[in-house]
Amino acid sequence: MDHFPGNWGQPRSRDDHVFSSTDYFPGHNAYDVGSRAASGPAQRTQQPMVTGTSVLGITFKDGIMLAADTLASYGSLARFRDVQRIIKVGDSTLIGASGEVADFQYIEHILETLTIQEYDHDDGQKLSPRHIYEYLSRVMYGRRSNFNPLWNSLIVGGVKDGDRFLGFVDLQGTTYQSSTIATGYGAYIGQPLLRKAVEGREDELTEEEARKVLEDVMRVLFYRDARSLNKIQIATVTAAGSKITEPYELQTEWAFAEGVRGYGA
Amino acid sequence: MEYNGSAIIAMKGKNCVAIAADRRFGVQALTLSTDFKKVFQMNERVFIGLPGLATDVQTLYERFRFKTNMYKLREEREITPSTFARMVSSTLYEKRFGPYFCEPVIAGLEKDGTPYICTMDLLGCITTPADFVVSGTASNQMYGMAESLWEPDLEPEELFETISQSLLNAVDRDAISGWGAVVHVITPERILTRTLKGRMD
Amino acid sequence: MPITHEYQSASPVKAPVEHRFSPYTDNGGTALAVAGEDFCVVAGDTRQSEGYHINSRYQPKVFQLSNGSVLATGGMYADAVTLVKRLEQRLEWYYHQHEKKMSVDALAQMLSVILYHKRFFPYYVWNTLGGIDGNGKGCVFSYDPVGNYEKHHWNCTGSAGHLIQPFLDNQIGFKHMQGIQRRFLTPEEVVRIVKDSFTSATERDIYTGDYVEIFIVTAGGIDVQRVPLKRD
Repeated sequence: MDHFPGNWGQPRSRDDHVFSSTDYFPGHNAYDVGSRAASGPAQRTQQPMVTGTSVLGITFKDGIMLAADTLASYGSLARFRDVQRIIKVGDSTLIGASGEVADFQYIEHILETLTIQEYDHDDGQKLSPRHIYEYLSRVMYGRRSNFNPLWNSLIVGGVKDGDRFLGFVDLQGTTYQSSTIATGYGAYIGQPLLRKAVEGREDELTEEEARKVLEDVMRVLFYRDARSLNKIQIATVTAAGSKITEPYELQTEWAFAEGVRGYGA
Repeated sequence: MEYNGSAIIAMKGKNCVAIAADRRFGVQALTLSTDFKKVFQMNERVFIGLPGLATDVQTLYERFRFKTNMYKLREEREITPSTFARMVSSTLYEKRFGPYFCEPVIAGLEKDGTPYICTMDLLGCITTPADFVVSGTASNQMYGMAESLWEPDLEPEELFETISQSLLNAVDRDAISGWGAVVHVITPERILTRTLKGRMD
Repeated sequence: MPITHEYQSASPVKAPVEHRFSPYTDNGGTALAVAGEDFCVVAGDTRQSEGYHINSRYQPKVFQLSNGSVLATGGMYADAVTLVKRLEQRLEWYYHQHEKKMSVDALAQMLSVILYHKRFFPYYVWNTLGGIDGNGKGCVFSYDPVGNYEKHHWNCTGSAGHLIQPFLDNQIGFKHMQGIQRRFLTPEEVVRIVKDSFTSATERDIYTGDYVEIFIVTAGGIDVQRVPLKRD
């Protein structure tokens, strides 16, 4: 039994290729060529289809905070409006993703598999944010080296044993750590605002202040990023553990638009 | 710009300016002569360096010589470096859509003796920094050297040493400029011109 | 940015076309190394960039290796990290097999071989290796991405390599100086020149800045200094 569906060939149509004399020579007919073409060459992500926009990440006094909206766009179409783009991995790690949503959900799946394997070892060891980040960066780099990238920019944040961690990895395997990180459109508009608010104040910023900073920047992004939504989630990780808010709406102010040419009036 | 290769630099000092250039003339990697003139004296206090395509260097020099002579006859005075720079700029911009391949450097002393340096791109966009200007195929190397060696208020002899070291060390890391150099230091009293030996490879 | 766009100008507004996936990126940065008589100084800035973005102000790309040498990298950071992992692996195997640390000369040759093994899908990395050789003398090796390498007394690579190299020729190699005694510089003198090099390069190169990390390798061990640079 051949277990590869791609090799099974196609059902034969009476009308097709009735005049083809090669039909009578098994293994040399048109369908044999067609059967290989049915599966085609290996499918690779050459461009993202359903995408998430910016993710923000900052360091504050007690831990790390991430923010993202819940929109998954299909080109310029706001296709899915309630998609989680920040996930928990274990108790001390958060991952936020922009880029291809399907690829991110696949990453979510392999991390779940990894977590279960680690749990089954039952050796009292837990994956730290740095471990997960290292693992992810090797997966991403490995995929790019096989010309089959996972089309994402990921932010990994976490706290373990008093050690705050905030790192970035993308589809090319590029990695870096910084006290503020922004992906996608947020790298243009969000990052300068985050740096102004956070750089040099990493050990002073309270959780409330950090949330305010992220909400403000997400609001700015909603105003100017056409692929964004005002429904967001904010995720926090501290020594006490991690939590992700339910999606909630940002309050926005549009009264000014009245007097601005191009906004409506 | 990379067809013939060249390196030109100008620096401000205390009541003086300096301009220096390499002396190579070549076609791509082939060196044809080592006494090629790229810096030209327009009058007692104005010099222009013309790096770039050699044929344009000579054409431009002849045009500027004509124009400064006409200026002198009409105005009955010498052109100042800042006025000369505007003239060079408009000459280049006249050929906006079929430009001369040359990014000139101008150095000189104004009427009151103030040092003046500037450079422009091949379309005539002028920039006038407070310290030094570089142009040509070794410009990256000259930026690195000058940024490290230059300091404010250099006396003429110090300025000579600074500009010479900046140019000589820079052209040794560029394959298509060098083969000797010429330096002019312009002071209100006199013009100091020296030709320097350099590596011939 | 990983996703780049190309615009076709047939009509004024056209949807951006997604670019084909490129496995390479350039993260900028500058690195240099100077060999002294019985020491070696290796330095690199800590800025990581991508296009006009600054990814991080402190993401070191100069690595202390377990055999006591220092490897400065430039180009694509992800490739550099992978390369360093491989080198560390090979250094450890060598240590267990031969019960001694690999010499810097041997490492220099091995690095060339590892780079050439990926000749047709190269590591996009410009390496500068510094350390103390078998005779106790400082040594510097520099590489292109496919493993072509050369031994130097001083070398500078990366985004401001063209700016700094002639300055080192002048200040370390005494090029175009007359009537002076050529000599080996002291570590202090070299470190001073390295700081000057990076502050100057930071003025003119947008990919160099934030901090310079300086490794001073001597027989007694490795001393590290971190000096702030301009952040613009």
